[in-house]
Amino acid sequence: MGRITLEKLTKSYGSVEILHGIDLDIQDGEFVVFVGPSGCGKSTLLRQIAGLDKPTSGELKINGKLVNDVPAADRGLAMVFQSYALYPHMSVRQNLAFGLENARMPKAEIDSRIAEAARMLEIGDYLDRRPGQLSGGQRQRVAIGRAIVRNPTAFLLDEPLSNLDAELRISMRAELSALHQRLKTTMIYVTHDQIEAMTLANRIVVLRKGNIEQVGTPLELYNRPANRFVAGFIGAPSMNFLPGSILAVNLVDTVVTVLGEETLAVPRPAETAEAGEKITVGVRPQHIRLAGPGEDCIGAKVTLVEALGAETVVHARVSTGELLLAVLAGQHALSAGEDIRLTFDAKDLHLFGGDGLRIAGT
Amino acid sequence: MSANIKRHRTGLGGIAFAVIRPVMSLIDIPLRALQRATGQGGMASFFILPNMAVFTIFVLIPFAINFVYSMTGGIEIFLNQRDFVGAEHYRDIFTCGSYLDPASCRRDGFWTAAQNTTLFVILQVTLLIIVSLITALILNRQIIGRSFWRAMFFFPVLLSPVVVGLIWRWILQRDGLLNFVLLEAFGAEQFNWLTDRTAAFAATIGVSIWAHMGFYTLILLAGLQAIPKDLYEAAEMDGTSKSRVFRRITLPLLMPNLIVVLVLALIKAVQVFDEVYVLTGGGPGTSTMYLVQYIYEKGFASELRNPGLAAAASIIMGAVLVVLTLMQMAASRRNEKKGER
Ligand SMILES: Nc1ncnc2c1ncn2[C@@H]1O[C@H](COP(=O)(O)OP(=O)(O)OP(=O)(O)O)[C@@H](O)[C@H]1O
Ligand SMILES: [Mg+2]
Repeated sequence: MGRITLEKLTKSYGSVEILHGIDLDIQDGEFVVFVGPSGCGKSTLLRQIAGLDKPTSGELKINGKLVNDVPAADRGLAMVFQSYALYPHMSVRQNLAFGLENARMPKAEIDSRIAEAARMLEIGDYLDRRPGQLSGGQRQRVAIGRAIVRNPTAFLLDEPLSNLDAELRISMRAELSALHQRLKTTMIYVTHDQIEAMTLANRIVVLRKGNIEQVGTPLELYNRPANRFVAGFIGAPSMNFLPGSILAVNLVDTVVTVLGEETLAVPRPAETAEAGEKITVGVRPQHIRLAGPGEDCIGAKVTLVEALGAETVVHARVSTGELLLAVLAGQHALSAGEDIRLTFDAKDLHLFGGDGLRIAGT
Repeated sequence: MSANIKRHRTGLGGIAFAVIRPVMSLIDIPLRALQRATGQGGMASFFILPNMAVFTIFVLIPFAINFVYSMTGGIEIFLNQRDFVGAEHYRDIFTCGSYLDPASCRRDGFWTAAQNTTLFVILQVTLLIIVSLITALILNRQIIGRSFWRAMFFFPVLLSPVVVGLIWRWILQRDGLLNFVLLEAFGAEQFNWLTDRTAAFAATIGVSIWAHMGFYTLILLAGLQAIPKDLYEAAEMDGTSKSRVFRRITLPLLMPNLIVVLVLALIKAVQVFDEVYVLTGGGPGTSTMYLVQYIYEKGFASELRNPGLAAAASIIMGAVLVVLTLMQMAASRRNEKKGER
C-alpha cells in the first residue's frame, strides 16, 4: 500500500515561501509525474514527501497516517537521486546492501534481495565493481536497484534520467515503465521533460512557482489544458496563442474570430464568456494546415522552413506580428518570404479568457 | 592573435603592452634560435634551469656539504680546517648499551632528544588529527558564525612560531596569565607549568597543536565539503545511524585528505623546534629537548660545540623523514587504488 496525501502543504526557506499550499492525493500503485519549469519547486515537494525536509505547514499522510514528524527512514520510501548518489567507495553489492544492513536484515535475506534486483535490472555481472567503473546507464540501474531492494511503499525519483544521453534516456524510460507495471508500487517521478511526463505518467502534476496548475492524465492535459500555462507547457512544439474574440455563444457552439480574419464555430458552448469578449485562442502546431482554395483562412508570411521529411515545420508571421508555428504532415515546397494561407478545425481550438484560464465549457 | 593585440591597445594595459612588446620581440629572437637548435625537449630543460639552479645552490650543495661535515671532527667552522674522521660520529651515536635507555649511550643527549621527539610525534600527531577532525566536522555544519570560527582557528597559523612561543610563555610562566586567572577565580596556588617536567612536555604538545591545527582543519574541511550532500541524504533515506554514516561514508571518503594531513603533520612534528625553543628552551632539564634543538645546539650554540656530530644527527633525522614519507606515499597509493572512483 502506498497512498500519499498532501493537504495544504507549504514550505518556506526563511521568509521565502517556495510551495504555496499543495493539495494532492496519490493513489496506491499510481505513477505520478511532477513536471514544471526549473525552479518551480518539484524537488522541494519531493523532498518534503521523502522526509529530507520538513513542511512549514499543512499535512502529509502516507496510507492515512500523518507523517510530518516521522523521520525519512521510517516512512518506508526509497529515493533515486539525479546524481545517483551511489557510495563511490563501495562495490555495487555493498551499495545495494547498505540500507538493508541498517535494518539489521539477515545476511541470507539481503543476498536473495540483491540477487532478485540484479536479475530484474540485469546488473548481475558487475556486482563487485565500484560505481566509478560503470557507465552512466549502469549506474542509474544500480541506483534504482538500491531503491528496489528496500521494497518500499513508494519510489521517489528526482530527474533520474537527466544525466543520460538521449538514446539511453529513451530506453531507460521504457524500462522504468515496465518496472512499474511489474512492481505495481506507487512511483513519484520528477522531471522537467514533458515527453518523459507524457510517456510515463498515469497522472501528471503540472507545477509552476510553487502552485499546482493542473492534475490529470497525460491526454487530459493535452486535450483540455486548464490554462494557458499548461497549454503551452504540454506538447511539443508549444501551442500557438493568437488574439481573438467571441462573436456569439450559442446552445451548441461558440463562434469566435481569430485575428479578425477567420471565423470559426467551436462545437462547445462557453459557459462563462459573452459575445464581444476578447480572448486568447490556442492551437497546436500539429492542428494547423494549409488552407484549400476558397477556404476561410488567416494569411501569414513564411520566415523559416524546417523540412524533417515526414513533416515540415513552418515558422510564419501573421498580420499582427505574432509568430506562428505549424507542423505540416508530409513534405511541402515552401520557402522563406512566401505568403501562405493557414487554417485549422474549430474543434481543435482552445479558448482562454483574459485571466489565462480555459473558458468553462469549451 | 590580432584580436588580442587590439584588446590591449587602450588604457594602462595598452601602455604596458606598448613597452613590453618590443622587449618581447627582442627576447623572441634568441629563444627561437635556441628552440631551432635544441628542439622542444631542450627548451623545456632551458626553462626549468633557473629552478634547478636555485634547488642545487640552496638544497643539494648544502646537503652534500652537510654530509661531508658529518665525516669531520673538531670545533672549527671552516671545512678546510677540519679533520676527516670517517663514520666516527655515526659510530658514536649508535654506541649504546640499550637504545631505550639514553643514559647507556655514548651520545646520551641525542638519544634523550630522539626519545622525547618520538613521544612528542606520537602524541602530538594523534591529538592534532583528532582535534582537527572534530573541529572540521563541527565547522562543516551549519553553525552560526561559521566563517568567523574558521578564521579564528586559522589565525594562529599566520603567527610566527616565535610569537606563538612568547604568547604561551606569558600565559604559562609562574607570574603569567593562567596562574593569575586561577588565583583570582579559585585562589589556587601558583603552579609552575613550565618547570614541571610533565606539564612542560604537555604544554609543548598543546601549544604546537594550537599553532598548527587551523591549517589541518582547513584541509579536512575542504575534504568534507567535497563529499556530495546527496550521499548523506541517500544514507538518511536508508536509515543509517550517525555513527555508521561517519564510519562508512565520511571517514572513507575523507581518507585521501587524512593521509595528506598525516604526512604533513608527521614531518612537521619531527621537525618541532622554534615555538618550543622559545617556550621552554628544552627544559626543565632536557624534558622538552627535541632533535632539532639538539642539532642546533650541538652545531652552533653550546660551548661544547660539535658541528660534525650535529651534521651526522641531522642526516639520521633526514633519513627517518625519508622513510616516513615513503611509507606514507605507499599508503596513499594503496588507498588510491582501493578507492578508484
Ligand atoms: N535549501 C534552500 N534554501 C533556499 N531556497 C531553496 C532551497 N532549496 C530550493 N530553494 C528554492 O526553491 C525553489 C524551488 O527549487 P527546486 O529545487 O524545488 O526546483 P525544481 O523545480 O526542482 O527545479 P529544477 O528543475 O531546476 O530541479 C528555487 O527557487 C530554489 O532557489
Ligand atoms: Mg530539481
